Amino acid sequence: MLKRDKLDTVITYMLLILVAIIFLFPCLYLILASFSKSGSIYSFKGFFPKSYSLQTFVKLFTDTRMYNYPRWFMNSLFVATGSCILGTFLTILTAYTMSRFDFKGRKTIMKSTMVLGMFPSFMGMIAVYLLMTQFGLINHLWGLILIYAAGAPMGYLTQKGFFDTIPKAIDEAAKIDGATNFQIFTKINLPLSKPIIVYTALTAFTWPWSDFILPKLLLKEKNLYTVAVGLMSLDETQFARFAAGSVFIALPIVILYFCLVKNMVEGISEGAIKG
Amino acid sequence: MDNIVKKNRKRLKYKDSERTKCINNAQQDSMVHKKRFTDFWKNSSLSVKASFLIMGLAHLRYKCFYKAICYFLIEVSMILYMLIRGIDDVIGFFTLGTVKADAWARVKGDDSIVMLLMGIFSLIVISLFIYFYVQCIRSSYEMQLDFEKGIKCKTFKENVAEYLDKKFYKLALSSPIVGVCIFNVLPIVFMILIAFTNYGGTIVPPELVDWVGLKNFQKLIVLSKFGPTFMKILRWNLVWAVISTTLNYFVGIGLAMLLNKKCVKGKAIWRAFPVLAYAIPGFITLLAFKFMFSYGGPINQIIVAHGGKAIGFLDLDARSTSRIIGLLVNCWISVPSIMLLATGHLSNIDKTLYEAAKIDGAGKFASFRKITMPYMLFATMPVLLSQFVGNFNNFGIFYFLRGGLYNKGYFLASDTDLLINWLYNLSIDNNYYSIGAAISLIIFMITSAISLFIYVKSPSYREEDTFQ
Repeated sequence: MLKRDKLDTVITYMLLILVAIIFLFPCLYLILASFSKSGSIYSFKGFFPKSYSLQTFVKLFTDTRMYNYPRWFMNSLFVATGSCILGTFLTILTAYTMSRFDFKGRKTIMKSTMVLGMFPSFMGMIAVYLLMTQFGLINHLWGLILIYAAGAPMGYLTQKGFFDTIPKAIDEAAKIDGATNFQIFTKINLPLSKPIIVYTALTAFTWPWSDFILPKLLLKEKNLYTVAVGLMSLDETQFARFAAGSVFIALPIVILYFCLVKNMVEGISEGAIKG
Repeated sequence: MDNIVKKNRKRLKYKDSERTKCINNAQQDSMVHKKRFTDFWKNSSLSVKASFLIMGLAHLRYKCFYKAICYFLIEVSMILYMLIRGIDDVIGFFTLGTVKADAWARVKGDDSIVMLLMGIFSLIVISLFIYFYVQCIRSSYEMQLDFEKGIKCKTFKENVAEYLDKKFYKLALSSPIVGVCIFNVLPIVFMILIAFTNYGGTIVPPELVDWVGLKNFQKLIVLSKFGPTFMKILRWNLVWAVISTTLNYFVGIGLAMLLNKKCVKGKAIWRAFPVLAYAIPGFITLLAFKFMFSYGGPINQIIVAHGGKAIGFLDLDARSTSRIIGLLVNCWISVPSIMLLATGHLSNIDKTLYEAAKIDGAGKFASFRKITMPYMLFATMPVLLSQFVGNFNNFGIFYFLRGGLYNKGYFLASDTDLLINWLYNLSIDNNYYSIGAAISLIIFMITSAISLFIYVKSPSYREEDTFQ
């Protein structure tokens, strides 16, 4: 038995190392490219640049005449943070209500959101563009936040699946103690659902952070570009600048993850109900 | 055998009796409605009847001031809206503009598309108003009945308190629903309507757009240039969606279980690698991969250095290699998110279940098949579905890997393009708006039929509280 366990452990670790390499390699490739000296894509030797320097990063933040990267970065940060906060709030609220309340039209709403989610979004985007011109929200970062946040609750099903697995007995116990539904939500279920809130916030943040179609459609001024649109507008010869820019884009999410990792992984049903 | 037949018969009988009950109920309901209506006319006071004209009068009479003000304001703003632009908008919806722009005569013509959009908006506003109107009359009648019984109308505070408890779901759902209606439903309705107009090609504002009925769908079938391409792309699209969804799902769950193993130390570190991949925005990864597989890219450089010939992995004639690369790259991108989600759900499974299974002599595989898989399917069915639809409409992959290529035998598309890419080529690059809308309507029908079927059959919809 012991021998088998050992073999099992060895295989597990080998698999883990393989996975790590598969996922790390392209990232490493980008990071190394961002430190390449010449900046062109054709001066590479295999996967690695011929010579390294910090020049690209310096240029990225100082040479803002053509490509104002710091500005784009702030725009992206603003849009993503705004839609993350608003979107997470709306999504969690929707998911919780759909999971816990039984009311008229609940199944209809569930079915119709499913159906709505299946429409290809491009045709709708033309309409969104026209709508935004009518509301005068073209070239406004707020307009983007509104669209992202308003669309977020459409993906409530994941969160609902999570709330479905929190035992209802807790709610009933609280109700007997005289709690209102609002209190049950804020005082009991919200603290219990940290992992899913973190997941929702992460997805709500990464979507605007890396989306390029909508900003491309709605933001016409170069100063208002988000990083995604800005990087896409880079010339093809600027590969190192592109790589450096992408390394910086990935940074906030990586940092976010390392701050929030505990909440994502810790189970919640342990200790909620015993016996 | 006999037993089963008996059971079935019993069930059928039960169903029949249910049905007759339902019919009876419906008849009774309509009777009750009629009676209620005549009662309403007979019993309602003058002020309630006056509410038909001026909303909120009854509320004023029965001393519910804040509601009176609200209803009155709703009516006033509605009338103002209709006078200022509502009526024009409704008419514009049907005509789609009559005055053509003329730069020489300085005539500012009608913009059909904006008229269509504002027309839809006005119809929504009108139906909202009708809802409030009915609510107003209903509540004023109820208030009258309460008043006659001596029950005082609820104070503002009590009403608010109700919204925090019994009606909490209404409060909670109101803002998401409004947002979704404006930014999702309205554009989709717009798109559906576009499919029945001749918008696109040379007919874009300032030209006048018109309703054409089913002509676009007819074009898709009759005109040879759209039909064959559509069928080819559809076939590949279905294969792509099924393969990539199953691949991503099982690899993701497998990875989560691997990381969840007891013998793995430093879980956070191991988990950081996939998350690193997750953190990098998709378009960056895709462009990086495109470069890796390109002619001057590192893989080809290595092949050349070892005496091989450069391979055009993503070239026009690279049929299956580019498809496989697409599948793998998509896997690389979406597996981390599934893994993260699965980790959360895995930690939710009751650990005692596994212990019980172990005592009963179940092996690892058996407990995976009988405990983990059913639970995961239950909890992640919605995700699986949205993954399927997301993959079916996965725009980014082939837009970045092989964008802008048009294959022979395809009309404005390449052999790896999914329907969504074709839509993009048609409507955004080449202005075929109405045809694009018609195609997206067809796409929608296919995906919704498939997933609605799966979803309604799935345990997470039928037995919502299995694991509670």
